[in-house]
Amino acid sequence: MQPSKWKWMVHPIFVFIFSIVALSLSLILYIFWYVEVSTGLKGVIERANFDPGQILAPQTWVVILVLSILVAIILAGIFIIFVYNLKTLRLYRLQRNFINNFTHELKTPVTSLKLYLETFKKYELSREDQLKYINYMIHDADRQADTINLMLNLARIESKTMKGRFVRRNLVAYLKQFYEKNQHVFNGGEVYIHNPSGRTLECRIDLTLFEMLLMNLLTNAFKYNESKAPRVDITFRPKGRKLHICFEDNGIGLRRTELKKIFRKFYQTGKSENMTAKGSGLGLYLVESIIRLHKGSITAANRENKSGSVFTVVLPLNAAVSDNPAVAATDFRKETEDGRVREETDPGC
Amino acid sequence: MAASEKKRILVVEDEAHIAEGLKLNLVLKGYDVKISADGSSGLQAWKDWQPDLIVLDIMLPGIDGLSVLRNIRLEDERVPVLILSAKGDSDDKVKGFSYGVDDYLAKPFNLEEFLLRVERLLLRVSRSAAGDRGGYHSSGQDLIYTFGGNRIDFGTLTAVGPHGEIRLTEQEVKLLKLFIANRGKPISRKQLLEIGWGYPRGMKTRTIDNFIVRFRKYFEIDPHNPVFFKSLRSVGYIFDPNERGS
Repeated sequence: MQPSKWKWMVHPIFVFIFSIVALSLSLILYIFWYVEVSTGLKGVIERANFDPGQILAPQTWVVILVLSILVAIILAGIFIIFVYNLKTLRLYRLQRNFINNFTHELKTPVTSLKLYLETFKKYELSREDQLKYINYMIHDADRQADTINLMLNLARIESKTMKGRFVRRNLVAYLKQFYEKNQHVFNGGEVYIHNPSGRTLECRIDLTLFEMLLMNLLTNAFKYNESKAPRVDITFRPKGRKLHICFEDNGIGLRRTELKKIFRKFYQTGKSENMTAKGSGLGLYLVESIIRLHKGSITAANRENKSGSVFTVVLPLNAAVSDNPAVAATDFRKETEDGRVREETDPGC
Repeated sequence: MAASEKKRILVVEDEAHIAEGLKLNLVLKGYDVKISADGSSGLQAWKDWQPDLIVLDIMLPGIDGLSVLRNIRLEDERVPVLILSAKGDSDDKVKGFSYGVDDYLAKPFNLEEFLLRVERLLLRVSRSAAGDRGGYHSSGQDLIYTFGGNRIDFGTLTAVGPHGEIRLTEQEVKLLKLFIANRGKPISRKQLLEIGWGYPRGMKTRTIDNFIVRFRKYFEIDPHNPVFFKSLRSVGYIFDPNERGS
């Protein structure tokens, strides 16, 4: 948790002091007014020719009103402290979760590397075997580097100093390029890109960050996928000044209760207590942070009637070039960007 | 079992690279090695293959390593188990030892140390096996257990309850052992399934409820008002032998 995220108004120490001051003030005023009211009452009774209700009633109401306001402030303060405490507690639990799993994520490649290096030191292996294990080691070193990069990138994005270098890009072409360049990462999983509107869709994106985002979304789609032919369908749908990009996979999908939680920092599907949860719990949090930096939003849902999930990224369209009314967007049968004809079965995505 | 026969070592580890590296080294040392990538296949391999030593990771997909260990310990007190885990705090180690692990190494480990520990564990087992010629499954655990007015004989797989003598099935014995090992502590249905059967998915928690119904019929004077096998709402079950059973 970064304390800078909290504005000074809701800082727990300020709230705490303010509540206490309000409480003591209310106590002093209560006593003061009580004394005043009783002396006033005495005087009234002594003079007897006044009607006590006329003078005392309005003053009593003022006392009640002021006291109520003060009590309300106290209650609000206590409530805020309570909420803050809950959040801290949750964060603490998540942090433990994170340590548990990052321990695993960081130690596994090191263990493997060390194991092979010690084996090489101990035995003279054949060249063939050596090459095989050296490739394992390279893979492990890459994995370690990825984990470290993830942590560093996150730290960079979270520190508000990061501005991002935004450039205008045709997203459809950019995604195709990205897929061709990184195909080997997806272990045989297929990606299909559809642009039923046929328009040139330009957005302002930070290339490094956007690549990280795509990498996270796509590797997740293929990692949590048990079907024989894992695939992801990416569909571009311009809606007004916004561009909706749907990443639809045929993987295992998400539990209903988890749809919102998965973007939280350190959140992981699976359970930490039986240690079936793997990974850092930061991937989708990173995705959301990147999207927010692009002034967009992301939501997750499950596919209807079949297994798999849909991640919808909404980004602001670059208005200057986005309008190209030559093609009607309502036509349901369109040639897709990859040259295939595809029936648009799910226009609501 | 001929002494010259190769010692069998089962490696339960989901990280393929580490598993293969371990196998490579153990094979070079002259052991027979099998790899299981998750808890349930590990348990299956343990039953089918009867290894002389098990090297176990804790963070496994499906059933975790500690549940695998507890499952094994319900049936076999003797087979040495060495835990190899990224979690190396003393708390984690204490937990492992309390469940009956023989040795615990934190990752990343030293290869030479690992190999020596494996050797020691195997040597110790073969020595004690030569000493008492006991059967594979014999253990130091008491064979007779009594609670309330009930008496369970794990040697003959029979029990005597308020309604007469009962012949127990192997699965019933396993669950009873699990309850006795955790007496007074609540156990969730999921834990019962994982430790008692060793299957992470595909089995209904109802199965557990059916077994509990049977146990109550066997051991409770009034099966509808159980005193020993009690349900805990939204948690699971608790076995409490200290309740008075008149």
